[in-house]
Amino acid sequence: MRPSLVLAAVALTVAALLPLTLDPAGYLIRVLTVTLLFAAMSQAWNIVGGLANQMSLGHAAFFGIGAYTSTILLVNYGLSPWIGMLAGAALGAAFAALVSVPTMGLRGHYFALATLAFGEVMRVIANSWPSLTGGPAGISVPFAPDSLLMLQFKSTLPYYYLMLAALVLVTAVFVVTKAGALGYRLRAVKENPDAAEVVGVDTARVKTIAAVMSGGIMAALGTAYAQFTFFFDPETVFGLGPISIRVALIAILGGIGTAAGPIVGAFVIIPLEELANSWLSAGTAGLSQLVYGILLMLIILVQPRGLVAPVEALAARWRTRRAR
Amino acid sequence: MSAPVATSPGTEPLLSVEELHAGYDAADVLHGVSVTVGMGEFVCVLGANTAGKSTLLRSVSRLVPRSRGRIRFAGTDLMALPSHAVPGLGIAHVPEGRHVFPDMTVEENLRLGAFAVRHDPAISGRFDGVLRLFPRLAERRRQRAGTLSGGEQQMVAVGRALMLGPRLLILDEPSHGLAPIVVDELHRAFLDIHAGGTAILLVEQNTALALSVASRGYVLESGRVVLADTADALADNPRVREAYLGI
Repeated sequence: MRPSLVLAAVALTVAALLPLTLDPAGYLIRVLTVTLLFAAMSQAWNIVGGLANQMSLGHAAFFGIGAYTSTILLVNYGLSPWIGMLAGAALGAAFAALVSVPTMGLRGHYFALATLAFGEVMRVIANSWPSLTGGPAGISVPFAPDSLLMLQFKSTLPYYYLMLAALVLVTAVFVVTKAGALGYRLRAVKENPDAAEVVGVDTARVKTIAAVMSGGIMAALGTAYAQFTFFFDPETVFGLGPISIRVALIAILGGIGTAAGPIVGAFVIIPLEELANSWLSAGTAGLSQLVYGILLMLIILVQPRGLVAPVEALAARWRTRRAR
Repeated sequence: MSAPVATSPGTEPLLSVEELHAGYDAADVLHGVSVTVGMGEFVCVLGANTAGKSTLLRSVSRLVPRSRGRIRFAGTDLMALPSHAVPGLGIAHVPEGRHVFPDMTVEENLRLGAFAVRHDPAISGRFDGVLRLFPRLAERRRQRAGTLSGGEQQMVAVGRALMLGPRLLILDEPSHGLAPIVVDELHRAFLDIHAGGTAILLVEQNTALALSVASRGYVLESGRVVLADTADALADNPRVREAYLGI
């Protein structure tokens, strides 16, 4: 068996058994649930950011579309969030295809800025359309008794497993995509777009497919988030800092373009944020943000290629030794 | 010998560019350029740095956003095609500046060159042919292309183009920035490739070298063809000798 598979199996077993040792209504399991969700979101971002090398700073647009679509369908028509999730994913994918048209020719910073603008536009729209979204006051998921069909539970435990399943699924999509024909083309586009085009890779099409996959998954995760928190407003789902920059940062810090990167990144960043907030927020205002920022800078300085980079290097050396 | 030399009269040339105007953003770089390459012919394009040589080659591969005029290749209208559809017709383009895929191995780079014809059973034979042409690539097969020397990267770029089994090989400044000994090696390879029946359209700053390998040439100045003749005649032309050969 490949060592990465063994590692994944061990991590999954630990993740599956861990909640049994925790208070199901406690604080720790909530932090872990959010961590798993952000790992999945960052993994979805990784399809565009890591495989296609398109540094999107607007992924909140898709996330928010998913959260609002399922919640609005639930509030107005009583539709199950599962149906809402599919509708949201379809809308998120369509929006990703739409955004791909004007941003296709943009590279590097220009792409990042254009996507950032699209995310912000969605936030502004959600804020200024209260008849549909509830506006800045936010929107609540109507209360329902525990039910898998309505994706609503009093305990955090089912949500923990929901997010874990989502993370496993998104990671599987990422791994299969990366190893497959699409991943091969995306790699060519990422490494040298001009050369990719002259060998016959339709770079625009390949990038659009990646964006559509990523946007659709991100929207589905938006529904999962909405059902988990019961209440959200435009800032929490369309926010630049809370969503767009965070999911990019998690993948970059963990190891962009690798399957383990977003997972490792999320398990460092989200708990770190929580710790900084809970330990330091009682003290001087802003101190927690300062400490959090300094820690992030330290990690980037010490390990600029991502936290999983040394492990990857070790694995690569092990493979070449075995190949001899 | 001052009139443009036609290629085997009566038959359509492999590549014909007529009245091409092309450019980026605001200004045109080419102002009505006409160029032909016959079946299996070796043609070079000479000119100063901003004459529009790269723009001409990139227009053929449909990489120039704004272009009008006629470009036909083996009976197909290239102007109607997107750039990624061009290699499938048998046009392999080695872009200026050694465009390899840096994090892929030499072998992966070469195999990607056959992407447009990936179901062609001749690919594995071509792969062996490239390694025979550039034995150094055989030694570096599993090495990342980004770690190779400049000359070796150029060999990867040329080898990748050959993986297509092209009918026309477009070479944009292949010896730019390379040591003389590597340049010689590359140009010997180009002659080998040409001897195998592949037509070549070469842009080269090194005029003497280009005229020594090509059979026909064009001189571009400010986006217009000012001279078109056989390579020998161009090498004897006083204007070429003074402006480009420095004699």
